[in-house]
Amino acid sequence: MKKIKVNKGLLFFLFLFLFLLVGRVYVYDLNQGIVISESEEAGGPEIIYGKPVKGVLFSHKFHVKELGLPCESCHSGIFEMAALSSQEKKDFNMQALYQGKYCGACHDGKTAFASNTKCASCHIGVKGMMPYLKKLSQSQDK
Amino acid sequence: MFKEIKKFLLNQPDEGVDKVPEETRREFLKIGLIITGVFAGGSIFSVVSKVAEGLATPEELHKSYPYKPHYSMVFKMDKCIDCERCVEACRATNNVPEYGWRTKILEIYDEKALDQKRIFMPILCNHCNNPPCVRACPTRATIKDPQTGIVKMVSYKCIGCKTCMVACPYNARYFNEEKRAIDKCDFCWETRLSKGEKLTACAAACPAGVRIFGDLSNPASEVYQIVHQLGKPVWTLKPETGAKPNVFYTMG
Amino acid sequence: MKKKNPEATTEMIFSQTWMNALLEFLSGTKAFYLIIVLGILIILFGAFFGVNAIYKGYRHVYGVYREIPWGILISGYVFFVVTSTGLCIVSSIGHVFGVKSFIPIAKRSVYLSVVTILAGFMIIFFDVENPFRMAIWNALSPNPTSNIWWMGTLYGAYLVFMTLEFILLLLEKHRYAMLAGLLGLISGVAAHSNLGAVFGMLHGREFWYGPYMPIYFIASAAASGCTAIIFFTYLGYKITNEKMDKAMELSLQAVGKIWALCLAILMFFTAWKFITGFAGGEGKVLAQMELIKGKYVVNFWFFEIFLGLLAPFFLLLISGFRNLNQMFVASLLAFIGIFFMRVDLVVLGQVVSHFFEYKVTDYPVILSYSPTIYEIMPVMAAISFAFVAFLIGEKVFKGHKTEIH
Repeated sequence: MKKIKVNKGLLFFLFLFLFLLVGRVYVYDLNQGIVISESEEAGGPEIIYGKPVKGVLFSHKFHVKELGLPCESCHSGIFEMAALSSQEKKDFNMQALYQGKYCGACHDGKTAFASNTKCASCHIGVKGMMPYLKKLSQSQDK
Repeated sequence: MFKEIKKFLLNQPDEGVDKVPEETRREFLKIGLIITGVFAGGSIFSVVSKVAEGLATPEELHKSYPYKPHYSMVFKMDKCIDCERCVEACRATNNVPEYGWRTKILEIYDEKALDQKRIFMPILCNHCNNPPCVRACPTRATIKDPQTGIVKMVSYKCIGCKTCMVACPYNARYFNEEKRAIDKCDFCWETRLSKGEKLTACAAACPAGVRIFGDLSNPASEVYQIVHQLGKPVWTLKPETGAKPNVFYTMG
Repeated sequence: MKKKNPEATTEMIFSQTWMNALLEFLSGTKAFYLIIVLGILIILFGAFFGVNAIYKGYRHVYGVYREIPWGILISGYVFFVVTSTGLCIVSSIGHVFGVKSFIPIAKRSVYLSVVTILAGFMIIFFDVENPFRMAIWNALSPNPTSNIWWMGTLYGAYLVFMTLEFILLLLEKHRYAMLAGLLGLISGVAAHSNLGAVFGMLHGREFWYGPYMPIYFIASAAASGCTAIIFFTYLGYKITNEKMDKAMELSLQAVGKIWALCLAILMFFTAWKFITGFAGGEGKVLAQMELIKGKYVVNFWFFEIFLGLLAPFFLLLISGFRNLNQMFVASLLAFIGIFFMRVDLVVLGQVVSHFFEYKVTDYPVILSYSPTIYEIMPVMAAISFAFVAFLIGEKVFKGHKTEIH
């Protein structure tokens, strides 16, 4: 049975190498986050953060198109107008939100639901990232 | 041939019950009690039913579940964000192959739900107090550890019949090709607890405080405190199977 | 009966039997050898697939997976051991309990019960991941609460007893054959009800759980046994173009009547199982609905109910238990139906996913399973083995003729 292990291992790496070489389907590092561009009226892309934890959704479509928020609500000092830039900041965590930074500026229980409630609304998780990943690879194929 | 057996039986002299010596009778009963005691001990007191009927004191608990420490886990389900760091930590610590899993995060999603439409539910081996897998294994390749209550694998005895996989109500088991045996969560006993660590890999990796791991027989542990309160609901999965899981779920 | 030295007589009979057997085997027709060779080729082909599956790893080539670990290999095993136990039960009516009309069919039944249990073991060899560990740890580390352990151990004893019974029948040692037959019957029924309990004691699988399984398995065994007896006895006489004597015809009639009774019992069991199931938990209801109007509709209504129960029952009634041709057709249909009955039993217990009541998106409520060629081939090989062994047995033991004492 040991013989089989070696064969399968070699075969696996061979195929992995070929796969990566050809590069069409690649192993995506979910930690880097996902950005899906939307139409003009959405007001911006769908952003899924990958750091510090994977699978946190911010939907421009929901906040701009559905809720009708103007760009200045967030892009006047709270967030940079550069997708995924926040996740590079060292203080991008729940504690910061509870202190009123980032999403916590509105999600404080008064303007919008408090950041320490309804976790899975924004934390769509690894599972939640999968459909967006599919959309990303589809749009890249175009 | 049956006629002969019948004749033989009918011709037996009637000794009379009073002729059986007291000693013999007691010895005979003792054997029966010993055998039933081993199994009854696991089913007379139920951790879960005690929580419903009335909570067990540590002494009562210890009598039926002489595990020290009595390892258990509580999930604060609403805090889970499916970052899956626990799954990755488990995979790395216990060499879980890609095709299998020891712990998993399930997604409960209902479009028709009001407010929050999604919630995550982590699952793993429940280390049941009345484990159907241990009952069903033909070679005792899976056992409930008498010291800690962890349901463990004795890999070299596993014949791979997969009866335990079918018996488990929680889909906790899978066949590991490298080990040539069934594999499942062992509360990181082999890789961490037996080496002095206090927490399982998944409990240590969770950034949101979802997995509370501890000793159910110790009143000072958070696990004991969460299970032994009536204010917030605490439940187990699939209690109707009678497996009496050691893994509990709560919210908040 | 024999007044000479009994030791020498037994030896003489024994060696005569072997010599006769060999001579008989070597004096077959061309057709006989052709079918044997074809059969052996199928067995080797199936074994090749099985060994290839071991080499590649079952995970890669079998259709079973983590959520449905038992597939047609298990159902094929169940099919053969049910038939074997049934053959033992029905043959014991003659040999053990002395009912004269069941004696002519008994010798062939005992032989076939050994053949079919071996066929069952062949299939299980390719399902269990570490078959060679079975013998060691079943003996060294038994688990008395495990139905699988009891079943395995008792079927081992059963195989020994039934083989012994057959040898004793050949040696005409009828008293000892009766004892071996009784022991075989007891161990067979005990083993078989444990096989039923393997399914019936799993509280986590609502479709299977309950006291019904062990009882249903024994009733089903009796029916399968009658099916096999009529099927193989009819074939045995057809291939040699011999005419059955009156005693044999009466025997088959008796078997047919018992079969009709067993079928009636099974229909009653099945109907009530489903009716009470609908008052059960959702897990059971979901599984039953899959059979009645879901993906397994054809499996259930056509194969299990029509071919397995209704058609044989009505054919038997029409035949008046006299028309052997109709009874043979009934047994052929029943065999096909019973095979699918076992598949339904094994698979439907696992199709309702574990967390269906929690509305999870990770698994559909009803899982699906389809066998791969790697699983189908060992089953084919076992069927072929049963046929080849049957044919050789017919030739070597000269049609299993018995004298009624």
